[in-house]
Amino acid sequence: MKKFQIFIFSSVVAFLFGCNPLKVKELTDPNNPSEASVSNNASRRQIQFLVTGLEQRHKGYVTNICQAWNTFGREIWYLNASDPRFQTDWLGQAGRVPDAAYFGFGATGGGSYATPYQAIKQGLVLIDAANNSGALTTQEKNALAGFAKTIMAYQYLIPANWLYENGIRTDIKDPLKPGPVRSYTAALGFIDSLLTAGYNDLNNAGSVFPFTLTAGFNGFNNIDGLKRLNKAITARVAIYRKDWQGALNALNQSFMNLTGPLSAGPSHSFGAPPDGFNPMFYVLDANINTIIVVHPSVIADATPGDSRVAAKFHQRSAPVIVTTDATPLVGTHQDKRWATNTAAMPFIKNEELILIKAEAHAQLNQTTDAVNAINVIRTAASIGNYGGATSQAALINEILYQRRYSLWAEPWGHRWIDARRYDRLNTIPTSFDQGTIFKQFPRPQAEINWDLYSGG
Amino acid sequence: MKKLYLIKLLFLLLFFMKGIQADAQGFTASGTVKESVTGNPLAGVSITIKGTKLVTTSDASGNFSIKINSKSAVLILKYVGYKTIEVSLSADKPAANFNMEEEISSLKEVVITGLASSIKRSNLANAVTTVSAKDLTGTTQIQTADGALYGKVSGANIRMNSGAPGGGINIQLRGLSSLTQASAPLIVLDGVYISNDFQRTGRASVTGAGGANQDDGANRLADINPADIENIEVLKGPSAAAIYGTRANAGVLVITTKKGAAGKTTISFGQDIGFGRPLKLMGVDNWSEAKINTFFPVARRPIELSRFQSAVAANNFVNYEDYFYGNTASLMNSRLSIRGGDEKTKFFVSGSLTDEGGIVRKTGFERQSIRANLEHKLSKDIVLTVNSNYIRTSTDRGFTGNQNNSGASIGYNIAYVPNYFDLRPVNGVYPTSPYFAENPVAVTDNAINNSLVNRFIQSFGLDVNLFKNERSQLKFKLNGGIDFLQNSTKVYLPDDLQFQRGQANPGDVLVGRQETMNTNIQAAFVYDWQVKRVNMSTQVGMVRLDFKNNGLFNRGRGLAPGQSNIKQATVQEVESQFESTQSDVGLFVQQQMNFEDKIIGTVGMRWDKSNTNGNANRFYAFPKASLAVNLTNFDFWKINAISQFKPRIAYGQTAGPVPFGATFTSLGGVNIGGLLGSTVATSVGNTNILPERAQEIEFGIDAGFLNNKILFEATYYVKTTKNNLQPLTLSPATGVVSTISNEAEMRNKGIELGLSGTIVQKPNFRWFSRLLWWKNDVLITKLGIPSYTTGAFGAGLGTFLIQQGVAPTTIVGTPAISPGVFTVWGNAQPDWTTSWSNNITFLKNFDLSILTEYRSGGDNINLTSFLTDGGGTTKGWFNDDNKDGIPNGRQRPPSPFNNAGRWVQDATFLKIREVGLYYTLPKETLSKTFGNIIQRARIGISGNNVFLATKYVGYDPETSTFGAQALANNVDVAPYPSSRRLFFHLQIDF
Repeated sequence: MKKFQIFIFSSVVAFLFGCNPLKVKELTDPNNPSEASVSNNASRRQIQFLVTGLEQRHKGYVTNICQAWNTFGREIWYLNASDPRFQTDWLGQAGRVPDAAYFGFGATGGGSYATPYQAIKQGLVLIDAANNSGALTTQEKNALAGFAKTIMAYQYLIPANWLYENGIRTDIKDPLKPGPVRSYTAALGFIDSLLTAGYNDLNNAGSVFPFTLTAGFNGFNNIDGLKRLNKAITARVAIYRKDWQGALNALNQSFMNLTGPLSAGPSHSFGAPPDGFNPMFYVLDANINTIIVVHPSVIADATPGDSRVAAKFHQRSAPVIVTTDATPLVGTHQDKRWATNTAAMPFIKNEELILIKAEAHAQLNQTTDAVNAINVIRTAASIGNYGGATSQAALINEILYQRRYSLWAEPWGHRWIDARRYDRLNTIPTSFDQGTIFKQFPRPQAEINWDLYSGG
Repeated sequence: MKKLYLIKLLFLLLFFMKGIQADAQGFTASGTVKESVTGNPLAGVSITIKGTKLVTTSDASGNFSIKINSKSAVLILKYVGYKTIEVSLSADKPAANFNMEEEISSLKEVVITGLASSIKRSNLANAVTTVSAKDLTGTTQIQTADGALYGKVSGANIRMNSGAPGGGINIQLRGLSSLTQASAPLIVLDGVYISNDFQRTGRASVTGAGGANQDDGANRLADINPADIENIEVLKGPSAAAIYGTRANAGVLVITTKKGAAGKTTISFGQDIGFGRPLKLMGVDNWSEAKINTFFPVARRPIELSRFQSAVAANNFVNYEDYFYGNTASLMNSRLSIRGGDEKTKFFVSGSLTDEGGIVRKTGFERQSIRANLEHKLSKDIVLTVNSNYIRTSTDRGFTGNQNNSGASIGYNIAYVPNYFDLRPVNGVYPTSPYFAENPVAVTDNAINNSLVNRFIQSFGLDVNLFKNERSQLKFKLNGGIDFLQNSTKVYLPDDLQFQRGQANPGDVLVGRQETMNTNIQAAFVYDWQVKRVNMSTQVGMVRLDFKNNGLFNRGRGLAPGQSNIKQATVQEVESQFESTQSDVGLFVQQQMNFEDKIIGTVGMRWDKSNTNGNANRFYAFPKASLAVNLTNFDFWKINAISQFKPRIAYGQTAGPVPFGATFTSLGGVNIGGLLGSTVATSVGNTNILPERAQEIEFGIDAGFLNNKILFEATYYVKTTKNNLQPLTLSPATGVVSTISNEAEMRNKGIELGLSGTIVQKPNFRWFSRLLWWKNDVLITKLGIPSYTTGAFGAGLGTFLIQQGVAPTTIVGTPAISPGVFTVWGNAQPDWTTSWSNNITFLKNFDLSILTEYRSGGDNINLTSFLTDGGGTTKGWFNDDNKDGIPNGRQRPPSPFNNAGRWVQDATFLKIREVGLYYTLPKETLSKTFGNIIQRARIGISGNNVFLATKYVGYDPETSTFGAQALANNVDVAPYPSSRRLFFHLQIDF
């Protein structure tokens, strides 16, 4: 028996030491590649994935901006019976005003802040990966840098417009040492120079964009197209900077076309999984109580016969009513711009560029050019040529009115920003919801906390 | 039918196994064993002859006889739960009668304290609670083992997440050990590190509620048949659990299942038949024309008034709470076990069937479990044990709790439906609800939320006596096991539901497969030796744990009518896929010293490494030391009334593991426009991350009075944790949201008191009573990062303040006092908890047990009331307490009205957890009717959660819409109401 014991014992010992039970395997992520895998000598495929990743990050803001900023500007109501705070908090009912961790934005600012910065970070990683890759020519690297900077500039505008006078960080290269907070004006200046840098990169990038973009960039997926997009965004920034001549200069190099389709422009792609559905799409007349509805003031203020009203708004067979502990809200119309839930969503289009042109001319007192541009829009909307006063103030009124219908509920919150640009936030009606019109948001709690933590 | 077949098979088996008899020569010792209080014969008492291998058991009449090959012998009589008797018999006096007394003090029971050793309770230096089978399942039938621990473990804060069938329980021992992990104890079952995960079911994804923590899923301890459990030892904190090292920060539950016993084979059959009814309903509000005119917008009033008037005319009002929750659940359990063996081989085989419905239609919990526990002596010095368990559980938990937009939650939905609108189907057609996005009757009738688990738990042990002499012995112990579990989940909302019809792709199904494979192995040498009058026990060993998880979820939307196969979907999607592995390795040494049971000291050390840590190859050390002094064992002790007085002190350290993936900085996979993209992660891995660490010092006194008829236990502990994991939020402008950090520190201080004793012991009447009282205070002593709020639904509805110098259970919310600083509204932590259990034996054959628990304080965030206020259905909504013309439902105090404070509510409660009354049929009656086939028969009635007294407004003050987590586990969002369960029991031993 003793022998048997020794046998068992020694075989157990042999087993234990034979497979070294003290050794543990170093873990690598079994589910994802590491960020480090692209930082040095990335392959062309890896760069392509980062390019597509940037396109994905580029649309990250859409849901939040569409729902929230368009609510702030009372272009829509986002009726949500499951969570009354989409009404009470976003509409500023009972005197609510945004705090540093407001509902729908959280401590990081969510889709209006953290998300656009993630797109910017993606752009930085892409530029670095491209520069450190041996698989690309200098021209290709310039193409990528130009594309990335153009998208990054667009994304910087989102936090800048959200925080407005509270300012944003523009230098974000080092995650542990982000740069200082800069004023709205300084941030817009930075964005403009980033666009210029991107344009210069594209100028040295040949004619072919060396990587694949989604169908949303059809017509813009070559160097020339990207340059025109870059200048379109520059024009939008210019009117925010009140650089009217700069806007006109940029428009001339953009894809603006006074005789072309107003809807022309690049868009965000959506699709069935694994892609994401268009977040603005709702089935017409669906018996649901979470839905974006047209704000009653938009319907009330519409010009009879405006084809944009017919094209964009659908009168529901039954209104949507949401009751909260504040006033009940009734939505009679819903958005009918999207044929399907996979429809692409334009993020800047010819119609906006023509309206920018009108505005810049009006501001420069080039009345005829301004009226001509307005009439392009009015004609397309089937409401005839402009017959009102041609004073600068009257033209600006007209342009802002046309922008409400031409750019209604785009993923930008145009009316909120426009009203603020012209100091007209008090013209946005609150009578339908007894709410408050917000001017801007405070810096997110996470930013305040970071400054505390880093000893700032 | 399948179940019946199983039972038959087991019956057949047991008849084959009967009748193994022992043969010997010499004088024949014999006797009759009776229960001392009732005088009833005790069957199945094990009788061994000291110094020999001879063994027998008493028969149905308590009689035994055994042939002995010598002139005299010492007989040892053992029976579970009774004091062991030793008596000498000889050829001159070969027979005797024995009265066995129930063992109340349990001081002699053995407590597993180390990984390879155990200690007598009377020598223990820690407050380790042992819950025996009798305490666990002796009173009533409880679905899951953790649910059966309520009120039985001081220091344990047990919380049921909802009343849905099939588990879902969170145990926190001695407060919080972590801010971000569940703070749930490690579970070791027969030496196997089993999974107690709350696995994803996908319900929250399909209903839109949010993340998997809102699935209201079950924790997988639910798979274990509570009736198989011999006892559960609760190591409450690091001082007791230090030798378990990593993973023991929140304590350890050491579960031991029943074993075979040498002697006559006993077959036990048990059957429960019962029913469940809602424990408490909140009530719903009635409507009037005035209320309609207040509640609805002007345009809507005419149609609402006409609906109301026609309901009045037809007297057709529907109380939706009653309709959905007021059903009677049928509860059925069958158990069969066979226990027997000889001195070489012992076995315990059991099978159980649980089929319990829920108070919501089409919900329920089924469990089938088979177990075989074998122990075999390969030789005099080698013992092999093999425990095998296969379990299949099928759980339908229905649709309750949070949702977003989909309307697929009964409680959420009916909060908005006035009682004058009838949602019930007419000729199979479900009316469209004008009040919410969905008709919840259709969801209840036709939707599926099922989780099907198949699970094997296999453990083995090999004990080898390598060397033995008079003064020392060396043993080698090898054990380990496997826990494999596969969970198939399906959540299905048919295409014809109201909300689905309003979608671009109506019909939604999410099918998941998750597999978990835990393996562990442990090898240890134990050397027992003596230095003069001190018994020494030295052990060294190693442990290795490997955990593997993988999961695949597929989703289909736009389903063909009535179809739930993903191939019948318009949009087919790999919803998620993940894999994770982790390995821990530990080494341990422990030295125990026992000076004549007077002074008992232990020191030990464990070293652990884990590949989820920042440094996978660094060993972390966890020391422990303890000392117990049995003053009454010293000669100087003269106070006879005090039979035990033991001051004790213990110290230990443990860790909480770093979660898988904390070190990774990854690129996410995304798809857009038909292209694959890589996105930079929003959280940065921390390659320096350390495990969470806790240290605890506990001290206390165990005292026994009047020959240990009364026992008193008092413990005070201070548990401090450091390196607590929490996300360090970076400047979101850097494009990176957070990285995991190690900077927080916490402290838990608490007191645990226990007093138990036999109050009355007379022939025909015995009353045993046990009172437990405990409290815990948790505090963040260092945060290391700026204070923040987290958890629940944000400041407007109550959230948690994480700040240095306050308890992390602090509930804050609007209004803000200054930017970012909110009003403190409550604290989730109970002030104290007490439980009182009583067992009374009377009229010889009756046993009555009652267990009551009272939890004082602790606030909930009651958002169920928030929803019913929003929908005008809260009982008393239209009353106007302050007579200002604004109904209560639109103006909740405290003033200024309608801030977060209105939902923070005191969750103090008194519950009668368990009550049972049993009658053991007299032996004579049984013998007359059944001869000697039936050894023992017992019938009884019992109840679980029979009574609730609370001022709390919700269904149950215990509720958690976010499942088991350290914080925010007290948020009430339209949960599945708890039920009161009543049973009839039959137990027969053959």
